[in-house]
Amino acid sequence: MSIIREHTQATLSDAWRTINIDTLQEDSSVNFDTATLRPPQPEVSEADVRQLQAQVRQLLRGGDPEGALRGCLEAPAYGGNDLAREAALQTVIEVLQSIKASDMTPMLQRIYGSPGGSECLDVLMKYLYKGMAATSSSTGGAPRTPTRMTPQPTGFSQIGPRPGGSAESTGAAMSVLLSWHEKVVEVAGLGCIGRVMTDWRRV
Amino acid sequence: MAAPEVHHLFHNPIADHSFSADHKTLAVARDTAVELYAKVGNVFKLKDELKGHDKTVTSIDIAPNSGRIVSCSQDRNALVWEPTPQGYKPTLVLLRINRAATFVRWSPSETKFAVGSGDRLIAVCYFEEENDWWVSKHLKKPIRSTITTVAWHPNSVLLAAGSTDAHARVFSSFIKGVDARPEPTAWGERLPFNTVCGEYMNNSAGWVHSVAFSPSGDALAFAAHDSSITVVYPSAPEQPPKAVISINTQLLPFMSLIWNGEAEIIAAGYDCEAFRFRGGIDGWQLSGAVETKGRPGLGDQREESALNMFRQMDLKGKVKDDTQLKTVHQNTITMIRPYEASGDAVKKFSSSGVDGRIVIWTV
Repeated sequence: MSIIREHTQATLSDAWRTINIDTLQEDSSVNFDTATLRPPQPEVSEADVRQLQAQVRQLLRGGDPEGALRGCLEAPAYGGNDLAREAALQTVIEVLQSIKASDMTPMLQRIYGSPGGSECLDVLMKYLYKGMAATSSSTGGAPRTPTRMTPQPTGFSQIGPRPGGSAESTGAAMSVLLSWHEKVVEVAGLGCIGRVMTDWRRV
Repeated sequence: MAAPEVHHLFHNPIADHSFSADHKTLAVARDTAVELYAKVGNVFKLKDELKGHDKTVTSIDIAPNSGRIVSCSQDRNALVWEPTPQGYKPTLVLLRINRAATFVRWSPSETKFAVGSGDRLIAVCYFEEENDWWVSKHLKKPIRSTITTVAWHPNSVLLAAGSTDAHARVFSSFIKGVDARPEPTAWGERLPFNTVCGEYMNNSAGWVHSVAFSPSGDALAFAAHDSSITVVYPSAPEQPPKAVISINTQLLPFMSLIWNGEAEIIAAGYDCEAFRFRGGIDGWQLSGAVETKGRPGLGDQREESALNMFRQMDLKGKVKDDTQLKTVHQNTITMIRPYEASGDAVKKFSSSGVDGRIVIWTV
Protein backbone atom coordinates (compact mmCIF):
# COMPACT_ATOMS: atom_id res chain seq x y z
CA MET A 1 0.00 0.00 0.00
CA SER A 2 1.43 3.30 -0.99
CA ILE A 3 1.70 5.87 1.74
CA ILE A 4 1.59 8.68 -0.76
CA ARG A 5 -1.73 7.57 -2.22
CA GLU A 6 -3.30 7.73 1.22
CA HIS A 7 -2.40 11.38 1.62
CA THR A 8 -5.49 13.32 0.79
CA GLN A 9 -6.12 16.77 2.20
CA ALA A 10 -8.19 15.29 5.01
CA THR A 11 -5.62 12.76 6.17
CA LEU A 12 -2.64 15.04 5.71
CA SER A 13 -1.75 15.39 9.36
CA ASP A 14 1.58 15.48 11.05
CA ALA A 15 0.73 12.92 13.70
CA TRP A 16 3.39 10.57 12.34
CA ARG A 17 5.96 13.16 13.29
CA THR A 18 5.26 12.51 16.96
CA ILE A 19 6.36 8.88 16.73
CA ASN A 20 9.67 8.59 18.52
CA ILE A 21 11.54 6.51 15.99
CA ASP A 22 14.63 6.49 18.20
CA THR A 23 13.03 3.93 20.48
CA LEU A 24 12.73 1.56 17.54
CA GLN A 25 16.46 1.50 16.96
CA GLU A 26 18.45 -0.76 19.17
CA ASP A 27 21.64 1.26 19.48
CA SER A 28 20.08 4.72 19.74
CA SER A 29 20.73 6.95 22.72
CA VAL A 30 17.35 6.30 24.35
CA ASN A 31 18.17 2.61 24.58
CA PHE A 32 21.38 2.88 26.54
CA ASP A 33 22.55 4.81 29.55
CA THR A 34 24.43 7.89 28.35
CA ALA A 35 26.26 8.01 31.69
CA THR A 36 28.31 5.05 30.48
CA LEU A 37 30.03 7.38 28.01
CA ARG A 38 31.75 9.22 30.83
CA PRO A 39 34.15 8.17 33.54
CA PRO A 40 32.32 7.58 36.84
CA GLN A 41 32.63 10.07 39.67
CA PRO A 42 33.92 9.06 43.11
CA GLU A 43 31.17 8.67 45.67
CA VAL A 44 30.96 11.49 48.21
CA SER A 45 29.07 10.79 51.43
CA GLU A 46 27.35 13.34 53.60
CA ALA A 47 29.91 12.66 56.34
CA ASP A 48 32.75 13.71 53.99
CA VAL A 49 30.94 16.93 53.23
CA ARG A 50 30.31 17.61 56.92
CA GLN A 51 33.98 17.07 57.63
CA LEU A 52 34.92 19.51 54.88
CA GLN A 53 32.38 21.93 56.24
CA ALA A 54 34.04 21.81 59.66
CA GLN A 55 37.47 22.43 58.14
CA VAL A 56 36.15 25.31 56.08
CA ARG A 57 34.51 26.88 59.12
CA GLN A 58 37.77 26.64 60.97
CA LEU A 59 39.58 28.42 58.15
CA LEU A 60 36.89 31.11 58.17
CA ARG A 61 37.30 31.65 61.91
CA GLY A 62 41.04 31.74 61.39
CA GLY A 63 40.59 34.66 59.01
CA ASP A 64 41.44 32.84 55.79
CA PRO A 65 38.33 33.17 53.62
CA GLU A 66 40.31 32.56 50.43
CA GLY A 67 41.60 29.25 51.74
CA ALA A 68 38.08 28.37 52.83
CA LEU A 69 36.68 29.17 49.40
CA ARG A 70 39.39 27.23 47.60
CA GLY A 71 38.90 24.34 49.98
CA CYS A 72 35.26 23.87 49.09
CA LEU A 73 35.75 24.53 45.37
CA GLU A 74 38.54 22.00 45.00
CA ALA A 75 36.38 19.20 46.38
CA PRO A 76 33.00 19.60 44.68
CA ALA A 77 30.36 17.06 45.67
CA TYR A 78 29.86 15.62 42.19
CA GLY A 79 29.18 12.04 43.17
CA GLY A 80 27.10 12.63 46.31
CA ASN A 81 23.48 12.07 47.12
CA ASP A 82 21.01 14.92 47.53
CA LEU A 83 21.80 15.49 51.20
CA ALA A 84 25.55 15.65 50.59
CA ARG A 85 25.08 18.07 47.71
CA GLU A 86 22.77 20.24 49.75
CA ALA A 87 25.31 20.39 52.57
CA ALA A 88 28.10 21.27 50.12
CA LEU A 89 26.02 24.08 48.66
CA GLN A 90 25.33 25.30 52.17
CA THR A 91 29.05 25.40 52.93
CA VAL A 92 29.84 27.40 49.81
CA ILE A 93 27.06 29.91 50.47
CA GLU A 94 28.29 30.34 54.04
CA VAL A 95 31.78 31.18 52.77
CA LEU A 96 30.45 33.51 50.09
CA GLN A 97 28.35 35.42 52.60
CA SER A 98 31.33 35.91 54.87
CA ILE A 99 33.50 37.60 52.22
CA LYS A 100 33.39 41.39 51.90
CA ALA A 101 32.28 42.87 48.59
CA SER A 102 35.56 44.75 48.16
CA ASP A 103 37.57 41.52 48.50
CA MET A 104 35.66 39.58 45.87
CA THR A 105 37.39 40.65 42.66
CA PRO A 106 41.00 40.49 43.90
CA MET A 107 40.34 37.10 45.45
CA LEU A 108 38.76 35.74 42.26
CA GLN A 109 41.65 37.06 40.21
CA ARG A 110 44.16 35.37 42.51
CA ILE A 111 42.28 32.08 42.26
CA TYR A 112 41.90 32.38 38.48
CA GLY A 113 45.61 33.09 38.06
CA SER A 114 46.69 30.08 40.11
CA PRO A 115 47.03 26.61 38.58
CA GLY A 116 43.65 24.91 38.27
CA GLY A 117 41.97 28.22 39.02
CA SER A 118 39.79 28.27 35.93
CA GLU A 119 38.31 24.93 37.00
CA CYS A 120 37.68 26.32 40.51
CA LEU A 121 35.72 29.28 39.18
CA ASP A 122 33.67 26.96 36.99
CA VAL A 123 32.76 25.02 40.11
CA LEU A 124 31.92 28.26 41.93
CA MET A 125 29.64 29.23 39.04
CA LYS A 126 27.86 25.88 39.30
CA TYR A 127 27.22 26.50 42.99
CA LEU A 128 25.96 30.01 42.24
CA TYR A 129 23.40 28.72 39.76
CA LYS A 130 22.38 25.91 42.07
CA GLY A 131 22.06 28.38 44.90
CA MET A 132 19.87 30.65 42.82
CA ALA A 133 17.67 27.74 41.83
CA ALA A 134 17.33 26.69 45.46
CA THR A 135 16.57 30.15 46.85
CA SER A 136 14.06 30.99 44.16
CA SER A 137 12.12 27.75 44.44
CA SER A 138 12.07 27.18 48.17
CA THR A 139 9.06 28.64 49.90
CA GLY A 140 10.64 28.49 53.34
CA GLY A 141 13.33 30.88 52.24
CA ALA A 142 16.03 29.04 54.13
CA PRO A 143 18.13 27.26 51.53
CA ARG A 144 18.85 24.74 54.24
CA THR A 145 15.74 22.68 53.62
CA PRO A 146 16.09 20.14 50.86
CA THR A 147 14.55 21.95 47.93
CA ARG A 148 12.84 19.52 45.70
CA MET A 149 9.72 21.59 45.21
CA THR A 150 8.27 22.84 42.00
CA PRO A 151 9.04 26.49 41.29
CA GLN A 152 6.41 29.04 42.22
CA PRO A 153 4.16 30.00 39.36
CA THR A 154 4.91 33.61 40.23
CA GLY A 155 8.46 33.17 38.98
CA PHE A 156 11.13 35.22 40.65
CA SER A 157 8.87 37.34 42.76
CA GLN A 158 9.95 37.17 46.37
CA ILE A 159 7.06 39.28 47.58
CA GLY A 160 4.18 37.39 49.05
CA PRO A 161 2.71 35.99 52.21
CA ARG A 162 5.74 34.21 53.61
CA PRO A 163 6.33 33.19 57.18
CA GLY A 164 8.11 35.84 59.19
CA GLY A 165 10.95 37.58 57.46
CA SER A 166 11.92 34.72 55.16
CA ALA A 167 11.37 36.86 52.08
CA GLU A 168 14.11 39.20 53.20
CA SER A 169 16.55 36.41 53.94
CA THR A 170 15.91 34.80 50.55
CA GLY A 171 16.33 38.16 48.91
CA ALA A 172 19.57 38.72 50.78
CA ALA A 173 20.91 35.30 49.79
CA MET A 174 19.97 35.98 46.21
CA SER A 175 21.65 39.35 46.16
CA VAL A 176 24.88 37.82 47.48
CA LEU A 177 24.75 35.19 44.74
CA LEU A 178 24.00 37.75 42.06
CA SER A 179 26.87 40.01 43.03
CA TRP A 180 29.23 37.01 43.05
CA HIS A 181 27.88 35.97 39.66
CA GLU A 182 28.72 39.37 38.23
CA LYS A 183 32.25 39.26 39.63
CA VAL A 184 32.91 35.72 38.42
CA VAL A 185 31.83 36.62 34.88
CA GLU A 186 34.16 39.63 34.99
CA VAL A 187 37.09 37.39 35.82
CA ALA A 188 36.35 34.10 34.07
CA GLY A 189 34.36 35.44 31.13
CA LEU A 190 31.28 34.13 29.37
CA GLY A 191 33.10 30.88 28.73
CA CYS A 192 32.53 30.07 32.38
CA ILE A 193 28.73 30.20 31.99
CA GLY A 194 28.97 28.10 28.84
CA ARG A 195 30.98 25.47 30.68
CA VAL A 196 28.45 25.30 33.51
CA MET A 197 25.67 24.65 31.01
CA THR A 198 27.75 22.14 29.06
CA ASP A 199 29.23 20.23 31.94
CA TRP A 200 27.68 16.89 32.86
CA ARG A 201 29.18 16.96 36.36
CA ARG A 202 26.54 18.61 38.52
CA VAL A 203 27.14 19.92 42.00
CA MET B 1 49.48 43.23 9.14
CA ALA B 2 47.59 43.57 5.91
CA ALA B 3 43.92 44.39 6.17
CA PRO B 4 41.59 41.41 5.70
CA GLU B 5 39.86 40.95 2.37
CA VAL B 6 36.11 41.03 3.00
CA HIS B 7 33.53 39.66 0.59
CA HIS B 8 29.94 40.11 1.64
CA LEU B 9 28.16 37.65 -0.63
CA PHE B 10 24.58 37.71 0.61
CA HIS B 11 22.43 37.94 3.71
CA ASN B 12 22.14 34.22 4.42
CA PRO B 13 24.24 32.01 6.65
CA ILE B 14 27.15 30.23 5.02
CA ALA B 15 27.39 26.70 6.38
CA ASP B 16 30.68 25.92 4.69
CA HIS B 17 32.96 27.30 2.01
CA SER B 18 35.83 26.04 -0.08
CA PHE B 19 38.26 27.65 -2.50
CA SER B 20 39.65 25.92 -5.57
CA ALA B 21 43.44 25.46 -5.59
CA ASP B 22 43.94 28.48 -7.90
CA HIS B 23 41.69 30.64 -5.65
CA LYS B 24 39.60 31.68 -8.67
CA THR B 25 36.53 29.69 -7.71
CA LEU B 26 34.77 29.86 -4.39
CA ALA B 27 32.05 27.38 -3.48
CA VAL B 28 29.66 28.22 -0.66
CA ALA B 29 26.81 26.23 0.83
CA ARG B 30 23.74 28.44 0.79
CA ASP B 31 20.43 26.93 1.82
CA THR B 32 19.72 23.97 -0.49
CA ALA B 33 22.20 24.91 -3.22
CA VAL B 34 25.92 25.12 -3.70
CA GLU B 35 26.83 28.47 -5.19
CA LEU B 36 29.98 28.91 -7.22
CA TYR B 37 31.57 32.34 -7.29
CA ALA B 38 34.29 33.38 -9.72
CA LYS B 39 36.80 36.08 -8.97
CA VAL B 40 36.34 39.06 -11.30
CA GLY B 41 38.85 41.76 -10.44
CA ASN B 42 38.62 42.12 -6.69
CA VAL B 43 35.13 40.81 -6.17
CA PHE B 44 33.44 37.43 -6.33
CA LYS B 45 30.60 37.18 -8.86
CA LEU B 46 28.01 34.40 -8.87
CA LYS B 47 28.93 32.07 -11.72
CA ASP B 48 26.95 28.90 -11.24
CA GLU B 49 24.45 27.35 -8.93
CA LEU B 50 24.63 23.61 -8.28
CA LYS B 51 21.14 22.37 -7.49
CA GLY B 52 20.76 18.75 -6.57
CA HIS B 53 19.90 18.66 -2.91
CA ASP B 54 16.41 19.27 -1.63
CA LYS B 55 17.34 20.09 1.96
CA THR B 56 19.93 22.36 3.54
CA VAL B 57 23.45 21.73 2.30
CA THR B 58 25.58 21.19 5.38
CA SER B 59 29.09 20.92 3.99
CA ILE B 60 31.12 21.15 0.79
CA ASP B 61 34.69 20.51 -0.22
CA ILE B 62 36.64 21.08 -3.44
CA ALA B 63 39.41 18.59 -4.14
CA PRO B 64 42.45 20.78 -4.89
CA ASN B 65 43.92 18.65 -7.70
CA SER B 66 40.97 17.05 -9.47
CA GLY B 67 38.64 20.03 -9.01
CA ARG B 68 35.78 17.72 -8.01
CA ILE B 69 33.31 19.16 -5.55
CA VAL B 70 31.63 17.01 -2.96
CA SER B 71 28.56 18.28 -1.13
CA CYS B 72 26.36 16.72 1.51
CA SER B 73 23.01 17.71 2.87
CA GLN B 74 20.30 17.09 5.41
CA ASP B 75 18.48 15.15 2.67
CA ARG B 76 20.88 12.29 3.61
CA ASN B 77 22.71 12.39 0.30
CA ALA B 78 26.15 13.32 -0.88
CA LEU B 79 26.84 14.42 -4.44
CA VAL B 80 30.14 14.49 -6.28
CA TRP B 81 30.21 17.25 -8.89
CA GLU B 82 32.56 16.45 -11.72
CA PRO B 83 33.83 19.40 -13.75
CA THR B 84 33.12 18.91 -17.47
CA PRO B 85 33.25 21.37 -20.36
CA GLN B 86 29.42 21.58 -20.15
CA GLY B 87 29.49 22.46 -16.50
CA TYR B 88 29.38 20.38 -13.34
CA LYS B 89 27.86 16.91 -13.59
CA PRO B 90 26.46 15.47 -10.31
CA THR B 91 26.84 11.86 -9.25
CA LEU B 92 24.84 10.54 -6.35
CA VAL B 93 26.77 8.66 -3.69
CA LEU B 94 25.07 5.80 -1.88
CA LEU B 95 25.63 6.72 1.76
CA ARG B 96 23.08 4.29 3.25
CA ILE B 97 22.29 6.57 6.17
CA ASN B 98 18.86 7.49 7.50
CA ARG B 99 19.73 10.76 9.20
CA ALA B 100 21.19 14.01 7.91
CA ALA B 101 24.70 14.11 6.52
CA THR B 102 26.53 16.77 8.52
CA PHE B 103 30.09 17.09 7.29
CA VAL B 104 32.20 16.03 4.32
CA ARG B 105 35.91 16.20 3.50
CA TRP B 106 38.11 14.78 0.73
CA SER B 107 41.09 12.77 1.86
CA PRO B 108 44.45 14.33 0.88
CA SER B 109 44.83 11.54 -1.72
CA GLU B 110 41.47 12.63 -3.22
CA THR B 111 40.47 9.00 -3.80
CA LYS B 112 38.14 8.92 -0.82
CA PHE B 113 35.96 11.20 1.19
CA ALA B 114 34.36 10.89 4.59
CA VAL B 115 30.81 11.94 5.42
CA GLY B 116 29.77 12.44 9.04
CA SER B 117 26.12 11.97 9.85
CA GLY B 118 23.41 12.10 12.45
CA ASP B 119 23.06 8.36 12.04
CA ARG B 120 25.93 7.80 14.51
CA LEU B 121 28.33 6.73 11.80
CA ILE B 122 30.84 7.99 9.29
CA ALA B 123 30.50 6.89 5.67
CA VAL B 124 33.90 6.51 4.02
CA CYS B 125 33.26 6.72 0.29
CA TYR B 126 35.45 5.60 -2.58
CA PHE B 127 34.99 5.07 -6.31
CA GLU B 128 34.55 1.53 -7.55
CA GLU B 129 35.80 1.34 -11.12
CA GLU B 130 34.09 -1.92 -12.08
CA ASN B 131 30.64 -0.74 -11.02
CA ASP B 132 31.31 2.86 -12.00
CA TRP B 133 29.87 4.38 -8.86
CA TRP B 134 30.78 5.69 -5.46
CA VAL B 135 30.28 3.24 -2.64
CA SER B 136 30.60 3.72 1.08
CA LYS B 137 31.83 1.74 4.06
CA HIS B 138 30.59 2.62 7.51
CA LEU B 139 32.68 3.49 10.55
CA LYS B 140 30.20 2.67 13.28
CA LYS B 141 31.73 1.54 16.53
CA PRO B 142 31.95 3.05 19.11
CA ILE B 143 30.16 6.21 17.97
CA ARG B 144 27.17 6.96 20.18
CA SER B 145 25.89 10.21 18.73
CA THR B 146 25.90 12.60 15.76
CA ILE B 147 29.23 13.18 14.06
CA THR B 148 29.72 16.93 13.79
CA THR B 149 33.09 17.10 12.12
CA VAL B 150 35.82 15.00 10.49
CA ALA B 151 39.44 15.68 9.56
CA TRP B 152 42.00 13.66 7.60
CA HIS B 153 45.50 12.69 8.61
CA PRO B 154 48.10 13.51 5.91
CA ASN B 155 48.44 9.76 5.16
CA SER B 156 44.79 9.57 3.99
CA VAL B 157 44.14 6.52 6.17
CA LEU B 158 43.62 7.94 9.62
CA LEU B 159 40.50 9.96 10.16
CA ALA B 160 39.64 12.10 13.18
CA ALA B 161 36.01 12.70 14.05
CA GLY B 162 34.25 14.83 16.63
CA SER B 163 30.86 13.91 17.95
CA THR B 164 28.05 15.19 20.15
CA ASP B 165 28.79 12.32 22.53
CA ALA B 166 31.70 14.59 23.54
CA HIS B 167 34.43 12.33 22.17
CA ALA B 168 37.05 13.09 19.58
CA ARG B 169 38.15 9.82 18.02
CA VAL B 170 40.80 8.69 15.60
CA PHE B 171 39.82 5.87 13.26
CA SER B 172 41.50 3.95 10.52
CA SER B 173 39.64 4.19 7.22
CA PHE B 174 41.98 1.85 5.34
CA ILE B 175 40.35 0.47 2.21
CA LYS B 176 42.02 -2.38 0.38
CA GLY B 177 42.77 -1.61 -3.23
CA VAL B 178 42.37 2.14 -2.74
CA ASP B 179 44.99 2.93 -0.12
CA ALA B 180 48.61 1.95 0.02
CA ARG B 181 49.67 0.40 3.31
CA PRO B 182 50.48 3.39 5.52
CA GLU B 183 53.73 3.89 7.40
CA PRO B 184 53.38 3.11 11.10
CA THR B 185 52.73 6.24 13.15
CA ALA B 186 52.28 7.05 16.80
CA TRP B 187 48.58 6.37 16.27
CA GLY B 188 48.98 2.77 15.17
CA GLU B 189 50.93 0.23 13.16
CA ARG B 190 48.46 -2.26 11.75
CA LEU B 191 45.38 -0.41 10.68
CA PRO B 192 42.49 -2.52 9.37
CA PHE B 193 39.26 -0.62 8.66
CA ASN B 194 37.46 0.71 11.76
CA THR B 195 40.44 0.38 14.11
CA VAL B 196 39.90 2.92 16.90
CA CYS B 197 43.33 4.50 17.41
CA GLY B 198 42.31 6.93 20.08
CA GLU B 199 39.30 8.19 21.97
CA TYR B 200 39.51 11.46 23.88
CA MET B 201 37.24 13.75 25.82
CA ASN B 202 37.86 16.77 27.99
CA ASN B 203 36.88 17.19 31.63
CA SER B 204 33.57 18.90 31.23
CA ALA B 205 32.60 16.78 28.22
CA GLY B 206 31.37 19.47 25.90
CA TRP B 207 30.34 18.18 22.48
CA VAL B 208 32.98 18.56 19.81
CA HIS B 209 32.69 21.21 17.08
CA SER B 210 35.93 20.82 15.20
CA VAL B 211 38.95 18.50 14.97
CA ALA B 212 42.27 18.88 13.15
CA PHE B 213 45.52 16.97 12.83
CA SER B 214 48.73 18.97 13.06
CA PRO B 215 50.67 19.26 9.76
CA SER B 216 52.90 16.29 10.70
CA GLY B 217 49.86 14.30 11.80
CA ASP B 218 51.44 13.57 15.19
CA ALA B 219 49.08 15.70 17.23
CA LEU B 220 45.34 16.20 17.28
CA ALA B 221 43.46 19.31 18.36
CA PHE B 222 39.75 19.59 18.98
CA ALA B 223 37.43 22.41 19.99
CA ALA B 224 34.45 21.68 22.19
CA HIS B 225 31.35 23.49 23.32
CA ASP B 226 32.82 24.25 26.75
CA SER B 227 34.87 27.09 25.16
CA SER B 228 37.99 24.99 25.26
CA ILE B 229 40.45 23.52 22.85
CA THR B 230 42.26 20.28 23.65
CA VAL B 231 45.51 19.10 22.10
CA VAL B 232 46.44 15.41 22.21
CA TYR B 233 49.96 14.08 21.69
CA PRO B 234 49.91 10.30 21.19
CA SER B 235 52.90 8.28 22.41
CA ALA B 236 52.66 4.86 20.82
CA PRO B 237 49.92 2.49 19.63
CA GLU B 238 47.75 1.12 22.45
CA GLN B 239 49.49 3.38 24.97
CA PRO B 240 48.03 6.34 26.83
CA PRO B 241 48.91 9.61 25.11
CA LYS B 242 52.08 11.51 26.02
CA ALA B 243 50.08 14.60 26.83
CA VAL B 244 46.50 15.81 26.69
CA ILE B 245 46.35 19.57 27.15
CA SER B 246 43.05 21.36 27.62
CA ILE B 247 42.83 25.13 27.50
CA ASN B 248 39.66 26.62 28.93
CA THR B 249 39.06 30.15 27.73
CA GLN B 250 37.00 33.11 28.86
CA LEU B 251 35.50 33.27 25.37
CA LEU B 252 32.46 31.75 23.72
CA PRO B 253 32.90 28.31 22.10
CA PHE B 254 34.94 27.78 18.94
CA MET B 255 33.33 26.31 15.86
CA SER B 256 36.40 25.65 13.77
CA LEU B 257 40.15 25.39 14.18
CA ILE B 258 43.21 24.98 11.97
CA TRP B 259 46.90 24.38 12.69
CA ASN B 260 49.53 26.86 11.62
CA GLY B 261 52.73 24.84 11.84
CA GLU B 262 53.14 22.63 14.90
CA ALA B 263 53.19 25.43 17.46
CA GLU B 264 50.16 27.53 16.63
CA ILE B 265 46.43 26.89 16.35
CA ILE B 266 43.91 29.38 15.00
CA ALA B 267 40.35 28.96 16.23
CA ALA B 268 37.16 30.94 15.59
CA GLY B 269 33.51 30.63 16.48
CA TYR B 270 30.76 32.34 18.41
CA ASP B 271 32.90 35.35 19.27
CA CYS B 272 32.84 36.30 15.57
CA GLU B 273 36.62 36.58 15.36
CA ALA B 274 39.64 34.32 15.21
CA PHE B 275 42.06 33.70 18.07
CA ARG B 276 45.57 32.31 18.19
CA PHE B 277 46.83 29.66 20.56
CA ARG B 278 50.54 29.04 20.91
CA GLY B 279 52.40 26.25 22.58
CA GLY B 280 53.68 22.72 22.29
CA ILE B 281 53.77 19.47 24.18
CA ASP B 282 54.62 21.30 27.42
CA GLY B 283 51.56 23.49 27.36
CA TRP B 284 49.37 25.73 25.29
CA GLN B 285 47.92 29.14 25.87
CA LEU B 286 45.67 31.68 24.25
CA SER B 287 47.89 34.39 22.82
CA GLY B 288 45.34 36.82 21.47
CA ALA B 289 43.02 37.76 18.64
CA VAL B 290 44.05 37.64 14.99
CA GLU B 291 42.05 40.73 14.23
CA THR B 292 43.45 44.12 15.20
CA LYS B 293 40.64 46.20 16.63
CA GLY B 294 40.08 49.85 15.96
CA ARG B 295 41.58 49.73 12.49
CA PRO B 296 40.99 52.95 10.60
CA GLY B 297 38.11 52.63 8.20
CA LEU B 298 36.01 50.44 10.44
CA GLY B 299 33.25 51.97 12.47
CA ASP B 300 34.62 55.47 12.99
CA GLN B 301 34.71 56.45 9.35
CA ARG B 302 32.00 59.08 9.74
CA GLU B 303 33.00 62.54 10.84
CA GLU B 304 31.35 63.25 14.17
CA SER B 305 29.47 66.44 13.49
CA ALA B 306 27.21 68.15 15.97
CA LEU B 307 24.36 67.67 13.55
CA ASN B 308 25.02 63.97 13.37
CA MET B 309 25.22 63.73 17.13
CA PHE B 310 21.85 65.38 17.63
CA ARG B 311 20.35 63.31 14.86
CA GLN B 312 21.50 60.14 16.61
CA MET B 313 20.16 61.41 19.90
CA ASP B 314 16.84 62.16 18.28
CA LEU B 315 16.52 58.89 16.37
CA LYS B 316 17.96 56.40 18.79
CA GLY B 317 18.20 58.19 22.10
CA LYS B 318 21.96 57.75 22.23
CA VAL B 319 24.99 59.39 20.68
CA LYS B 320 26.95 56.33 19.66
CA ASP B 321 25.57 53.85 17.18
CA ASP B 322 26.45 50.52 18.74
CA THR B 323 24.44 48.13 16.60
CA GLN B 324 27.59 46.96 14.82
CA LEU B 325 30.07 44.52 16.29
CA LYS B 326 33.65 45.72 16.33
CA THR B 327 34.70 42.59 14.47
CA VAL B 328 34.65 42.12 10.70
CA HIS B 329 32.25 39.21 10.91
CA GLN B 330 28.94 40.35 12.30
CA ASN B 331 27.86 36.89 13.37
CA THR B 332 29.24 33.49 14.31
CA ILE B 333 32.12 32.16 12.21
CA THR B 334 31.12 28.71 11.01
CA MET B 335 34.29 27.56 9.28
CA ILE B 336 37.90 28.56 8.84
CA ARG B 337 40.21 27.00 6.27
CA PRO B 338 43.80 27.52 5.20
CA TYR B 339 43.90 29.71 2.09
CA GLU B 340 47.55 30.13 1.29
CA ALA B 341 50.39 28.18 2.86
CA SER B 342 54.12 27.84 2.50
CA GLY B 343 55.22 24.47 3.78
CA ASP B 344 53.44 23.82 7.04
CA ALA B 345 52.88 27.47 7.87
CA VAL B 346 49.60 29.11 6.96
CA LYS B 347 50.11 32.56 5.41
CA LYS B 348 46.45 33.33 4.79
CA PHE B 349 43.25 31.70 5.92
CA SER B 350 39.64 32.22 4.98
CA SER B 351 36.58 32.31 7.21
CA SER B 352 32.86 32.12 6.54
CA GLY B 353 30.09 33.18 8.85
CA VAL B 354 26.40 33.22 9.57
CA ASP B 355 26.47 36.85 8.38
CA GLY B 356 27.07 35.78 4.75
CA ARG B 357 30.63 37.08 4.66
CA ILE B 358 33.77 35.38 3.40
CA VAL B 359 36.91 36.98 4.80
CA ILE B 360 40.50 36.26 3.84
CA TRP B 361 42.93 36.95 6.68
CA THR B 362 46.67 37.42 6.63
CA VAL B 363 48.25 35.59 9.55
